[in-house]
Amino acid sequence: MTPNKQTTLFFIALATLVIIAASPFLGMSHTTTAEIQQQILTEIRLPRMLFAFIAGAGLSLCGMVFQAMFRNPLATPFTLGVASGASLGAALYVFLGLSFSFIGIDGTSFAAFIGALLSISFVYYLSRFRSNFSTETLLLTGVAISFFFSSLILFIQYLSNITDSFRILRWLMGSLSIVGYHDILQLLPFVTICIGVVLWLSRELNLLMAGDEIALSRGVNVQHTRYALFFVSSLCVGAIVAVCGPIGFVGMMVPHICRLLIGNDHRWLIPATLLFGGGFLILCDTVARLIIAPAEIPVGVITTLLGGPFFIWLLIKSKI
Amino acid sequence: MSVLLEAHNLSVEIANTTLLSSVSFQINEGDYLCVLGPNGAGKSTLLKALLGISKPSSGDITIQHQVVSQLSQKQRAQQISYVPQAHGQQFDFTVIDFIKMSRYAYHTALSDWASDDQDAFDQAIAITGTESFLQRQMQTLSGGEQQRIMIAAALCQQAPLLLLDEPTSFLDPHYQAEVHQLIVKLNQQHRISVIEVSHDLNHAVQHSSSILALKQGKKMWFGASSEFLETDHVHTLYDQQFVFAEHPQTGDKIALVSEPS
Repeated sequence: MTPNKQTTLFFIALATLVIIAASPFLGMSHTTTAEIQQQILTEIRLPRMLFAFIAGAGLSLCGMVFQAMFRNPLATPFTLGVASGASLGAALYVFLGLSFSFIGIDGTSFAAFIGALLSISFVYYLSRFRSNFSTETLLLTGVAISFFFSSLILFIQYLSNITDSFRILRWLMGSLSIVGYHDILQLLPFVTICIGVVLWLSRELNLLMAGDEIALSRGVNVQHTRYALFFVSSLCVGAIVAVCGPIGFVGMMVPHICRLLIGNDHRWLIPATLLFGGGFLILCDTVARLIIAPAEIPVGVITTLLGGPFFIWLLIKSKI
Repeated sequence: MSVLLEAHNLSVEIANTTLLSSVSFQINEGDYLCVLGPNGAGKSTLLKALLGISKPSSGDITIQHQVVSQLSQKQRAQQISYVPQAHGQQFDFTVIDFIKMSRYAYHTALSDWASDDQDAFDQAIAITGTESFLQRQMQTLSGGEQQRIMIAAALCQQAPLLLLDEPTSFLDPHYQAEVHQLIVKLNQQHRISVIEVSHDLNHAVQHSSSILALKQGKKMWFGASSEFLETDHVHTLYDQQFVFAEHPQTGDKIALVSEPS
């Protein structure tokens, strides 16, 4: 492999480490005692940072997978309406007053997973069984799905009592303000499974980027590969959305920037995207925490403020 | 010579439309088959069925006496390689990465690039003369250059049978000749069997060993290329009158579209 890619990956890792090392100490009040500072660090800042890293890495990875499968930098779980499907699942779970957990994982995650899987299936069905379906149409369908699901969520929220209504609102803003390590355990298994499967399928992803016909003729079982990737992306997006809401545009910006930095070979792109995505969301969260301190704004606001212009830039650049 | 590929009563139906109806043919090792026919005759459908993109609704295909539909996609890829039409697709890879990706069928998720991969790669580069392109980005290549890389990538797959879908359409005469020469070289010097879908009647007659003529999804004619122009089939195949001449250099019979009188 070229030393160039190794160097790039090294610098991405280095930058992520710097962010990880600096972030928990920023915005630390000096009026409190060392003991309280210590407590804030280990019980609030560290779990929150870990959580941001895992969520950022997971969202970026799913974005990368979608970009490769649809061969378009604008196609991500967020733009294709998958994240809103997950939100709708989570909102329905709360509204219906369901409450169950399975091997320690909250039912919200499963509801969000089902929502994500249903919207992926719908988008995939449209893209596959209408052969004249262009990327523009696909993205517009994603926008339509998002609007439709958002309205349904608003409707659910309107019908809900005040407590549930607030719980639903909390997701939609996309927030990382968690306390303790419990929420991390809600995410970790899903994101780990997703990372494992995507790493396992990195050669297949490379070939899918060259088009379905090429991939098939080179020996890829395109159908099975897609199903596996859709399944694990739904798991990952569902789990993240269930806990911290649809944090927008991370899955579009991070993998695209990584492609520009390190190229399209997924064996390099996957670790780069994971590190960059994790570091990026920690950075955004730190900004969200500091910008109007002592109050904080939801991190989803920051990522969407960055992502909107980025989306338009990509739209102009890719001339679709 | 032994039979390499055999299609038996092959039919393909998509959404209740019959695209290919009971087509049978066979090719031997070392053959060069050209598939001719008007637009919509089922030529691409035939290639797609061979590649496993379309499922036959009836009939079967065997390659080296194995039923193709029972092979895994990787096993199939070790037998059949493919060069698509040159229509300026965007491939965001360097040439070297793109060609190396063709070794997929010989790998598992954990296996490393081995010495037989390198041998296949070196050989594919040497045969196609693409050494100087290796560090270039695919998108920076011209249509003709890209097509040579596509052939190099297919060769790297080391399959005994190479499928080409109109490999020279959209290319200028220079690159058309270059690509044709390369295919003939692969077939004659490197004993790779070829199935080529083509609209270039004279190229098919001069260079291929056999011709399969399809019309409206049915086999119209199948036989040795040298005999194709001796029949009336060429007129009915395209619903077009042809006149014939002698190639000034080779003396071969060539077909020209007849001027309306």
